Amino acid sequence: MKIAIDAMGGDNAPEAIVKGVLAARDAFSDMEFILYGDQAQIKPLVSNIERIEIQHTDEVIAGDDEPVRSVRRKKQASMVLAAQAVKDHHADAFFSCGNTGAVLACGIFVIGRIKGIERPGLMPTLPTVATDDGFNLIDAGANASSKPNHLYQYAKMGIYYAQDVRKIKQPRVGLLNNGTEYDKGDDLHKEAYQLLKDDPDINFIGNVEATNILEGPADVVVSDGFTGNAVLKTIEGTAGALMKVIKHSLLNSGMLSKLGAAMSKSAFAAVKDKFDTSKYGGAVLLGVAAPVVKSHGASDDRAVYYALTQIHDMVNKQTVQHVIDYFSKEKNS
Amino acid sequence: MTEQEIFDKVAAILEDRFDIDKSKVTNDLNFKNDLEADSIDIVEFVIELEDTFGAEIPDEEAEKIKTVGDAVSYIQEHMPKK
Repeated sequence: MKIAIDAMGGDNAPEAIVKGVLAARDAFSDMEFILYGDQAQIKPLVSNIERIEIQHTDEVIAGDDEPVRSVRRKKQASMVLAAQAVKDHHADAFFSCGNTGAVLACGIFVIGRIKGIERPGLMPTLPTVATDDGFNLIDAGANASSKPNHLYQYAKMGIYYAQDVRKIKQPRVGLLNNGTEYDKGDDLHKEAYQLLKDDPDINFIGNVEATNILEGPADVVVSDGFTGNAVLKTIEGTAGALMKVIKHSLLNSGMLSKLGAAMSKSAFAAVKDKFDTSKYGGAVLLGVAAPVVKSHGASDDRAVYYALTQIHDMVNKQTVQHVIDYFSKEKNS
Repeated sequence: MTEQEIFDKVAAILEDRFDIDKSKVTNDLNFKNDLEADSIDIVEFVIELEDTFGAEIPDEEAEKIKTVGDAVSYIQEHMPKK
């Protein structure tokens, strides 16, 4: 399998990207990579060129570029060229740590939607408190407005991913809502609830609330993109703020607290590890014609490596093909 | 390419994208009001027009294309002459 890499996307590009790619190349003998970006910066980082191809380009999409416009205009940008390679079947999957909106635009407009999918959804894997399994949240913000059928399709796609990549036989699906009772929410969520409930192939557990999704009531949490994005950012923001407050009060509450903090160091490391989501890989844009994975802008080489492992699984298990097959059958039935 | 030929190709694209029968496509058909197209639908449609007809459609111009008739006349004026 060949993976097209936007080597210039993210805060630590190209160093972290290239380092992560080299680690994945060494771990998987069936993986090849095309790196798009500034050859002068990339080449010195690649000591062994085995299964690595560098395609030079000067153009990049910046973090603050307007997504759709920049993807349409900067046709030579590293991100756009990587997406174009997937569209032209020169590569099997796409990876970037760059501008999220531009990655979505590359996925939707360059690589293209799967026929029958109305709206692709962005799906990260988030941590769960009790186990190391994590859960998937779809849509985490690819679409600002949604229809009931979009949510239903997110569930279907999320299930294929959970089965193929996370190896869960019958993923439990929950609908993110403002209460657990069946009649909660606005019209969108009430209609989505019925669609999910009426499909015997979906292991639907009903509505779930943001207060306890980290406890893992569902393997796939379905949401409209607006709410999903707000929830994702609230989780990230709260976790970060809480760590800051704890650190501040431990360091400013006298000698005993400091001593206690030093003694609890391993416990704090475990907490940090729990909320380190990079081991789950990046966020997948499901509903487009090939695996498109976007990792955090601040990703280090480890995060890049894990995202490539995730892509390796998706390509091997043919997750996207499963979605294509299902929705082409659906359209013809 | 004649206006009719352009119209036929545009109608075929719309049939494929919006589940509308080709015979129901008219020049007055409005993408937003009649086909309930949102911004993603419209950008995808504009990109397909560019790919099909080899014409660049800048964003400012794309925003003015609201009906099938707008699309057909834009393409007729801006298609690369062979």
